[in-house]
Amino acid sequence: MSQVSNSGPLRRVLPVVEIALLVLALPLPWILDDFWVVFATKMIILALLAISFDLVWGYAGIMSFGQALFFGVAGYTAALLATKSEVTSIFILLPLSGLVGLALAFVVAAIVIFGKRIPSVVFVALGTMTGSYAVERLARGWSWVGGQNGISSLPRLTAGTFEIEEGIVFFYMALAILVAIYLAVRFLVRSQFGLVLAGIRQQEGRLGFFGYQVQSYKGVVFSLAGFIAGVSGGLFAFHEGFVGPGQLGPVLSTQAVLYVLFGGVGTLIGAVLGVSVIEMISYALPQIDSLGSAIQEFLETGWPIVLGVLLLATVMFRPTGLIGLVVGDRERIGTFGRRMRGADAKREAP
Amino acid sequence: MSAVPFFFDLLAYSAIFVLVGLGLGVIASMMGIFNFAHGEFVLLGAYTVYVFQLNGIPTWAGMIAAPFVVALIGLLLERIAIRRFYRAPIAAMLGTYAIALALREAVRALLGGRFYSVEAPLVGSFVFGEVSVSQWRTAVILITALVMVLCWLLLTRTRFGLQMRASLENAALARSSGISVDRVYATTFAFGSGLAGLAGGLMVPMYSISADMGVPFLIKSFLAVMLGGMGSFEGSIAGAALVGATSAALPWVIKPVVADLLVFVIAIIIVKFRPEGLLSKWRR
Repeated sequence: MSQVSNSGPLRRVLPVVEIALLVLALPLPWILDDFWVVFATKMIILALLAISFDLVWGYAGIMSFGQALFFGVAGYTAALLATKSEVTSIFILLPLSGLVGLALAFVVAAIVIFGKRIPSVVFVALGTMTGSYAVERLARGWSWVGGQNGISSLPRLTAGTFEIEEGIVFFYMALAILVAIYLAVRFLVRSQFGLVLAGIRQQEGRLGFFGYQVQSYKGVVFSLAGFIAGVSGGLFAFHEGFVGPGQLGPVLSTQAVLYVLFGGVGTLIGAVLGVSVIEMISYALPQIDSLGSAIQEFLETGWPIVLGVLLLATVMFRPTGLIGLVVGDRERIGTFGRRMRGADAKREAP
Repeated sequence: MSAVPFFFDLLAYSAIFVLVGLGLGVIASMMGIFNFAHGEFVLLGAYTVYVFQLNGIPTWAGMIAAPFVVALIGLLLERIAIRRFYRAPIAAMLGTYAIALALREAVRALLGGRFYSVEAPLVGSFVFGEVSVSQWRTAVILITALVMVLCWLLLTRTRFGLQMRASLENAALARSSGISVDRVYATTFAFGSGLAGLAGGLMVPMYSISADMGVPFLIKSFLAVMLGGMGSFEGSIAGAALVGATSAALPWVIKPVVADLLVFVIAIIIVKFRPEGLLSKWRR
């Protein structure tokens, strides 16, 4: 961490970015045509996945290379229920996908996080990545869940008798879920609980000496992130009308890492920003005609290469990501618990 | 009797894993960097051989060239990026992951997302009485054994090996004794990458080339290094042999998909309870 300046009034930029993005998102379906609305909905759903990774890595310092595991298994569960038992009610499927993610995350946490010793970051990264890889292999070889092809042509989600189509309705529903989860997580990481998480991220051993049950805190936050990834996976499956092994594996897990590191780790809005920017560029860049056909052709196949180089550059030169351009360290680390202001602060100070 | 070819196959697959694990282990234990791009170095080694075959040059020439090509790429990456990460293992992990992504996608773009196979330079098999074993697999086992011995000699009997171990033990003291730790690190990284390249080159005839072939190797050799314990030469070899043999043997007993899962779960659980590695008791 670089030097954090404590002098001067704190300029708060984050809320401005948050509100700006929301204001930008709200009227989208009225401006754009259907294709773009569906595209934007996909970004919103992926933003949930990014938030779940940001929560574990940016706030609690747990390096999870396997967020897609919770995303995908929840998606598969919802898809299987919809195709095999014809359950399509969103009020059942969505909480259920979250719970599946939560339960699975708890199991993974029991293996890689819990225990007497503090597991090394590399072990956690490897353990989660292995889990994601192994389950992807399993899904590819298991014909009951569709094997290589996954499960396609899922029915639409329903609320009562109303079918939720991709498009405007799905967009606002996803946006509402994103905002709700965003606010909940924002409250969580700015609470006293969040302060403990920040402590764990910076100096895990010291927190242990203070008497905190460090592993339980990590388990709780990891399971919560699993819940969010699960909700995201359930939504994604029904939005795309399809689940496949690719939604389980290390590739998507890395994608989540990429979004968050690029957007700005340790700020929730950074995760959302990372998803929006990367998804938009990766779609739009190959479409721009003025780049010349050679570059265009290269971008069509080579865009992931550019992404890798971009990620490397971010890690090397700008570890705080895009959001670090406008938000200083002090605001990024932020304050915790109830904010004390003016007279209140004086009264409460001893 | 079919037991001999079976064990022979196990040996051949373990040999490949030993090479991969050794390269990863050398980098991890000498420099404290977990190189997430190691699987892609294996892929690059395999790809080198493929390019040689594509241009009509015999594959054995490609296999000889592979370790050098990959070592050169490793050296280049070390100079550009990885040397910045020595003090920050987490940044190193993310950085090498980014490198891995770029390399993998580059190869995918070059291969066009298809699978290719390469013919072994030695076709046919040796016949001993009733038992016949593939010539190429014999060669792989022998080359691996030779490389292992050479590595061991390099680490324990040469001046460079001494400098390497000194830099591992105490970088500051090594530097003040006039060892260019920077150069030692660069060479070590190139050396480890070269081993991965060699493994990639040798195994091409046994696997088929695709852009995603590196990932399972990365994961398994990571597990191998952790099983064997960081910072030990023989630990990496033992761990890699164990992982290689188990993952080659289990599919004979149970379904291959379940076997993979089982290997991972067992390895993760062992590492969880013995983070210093399986051989840690012997060494002290």
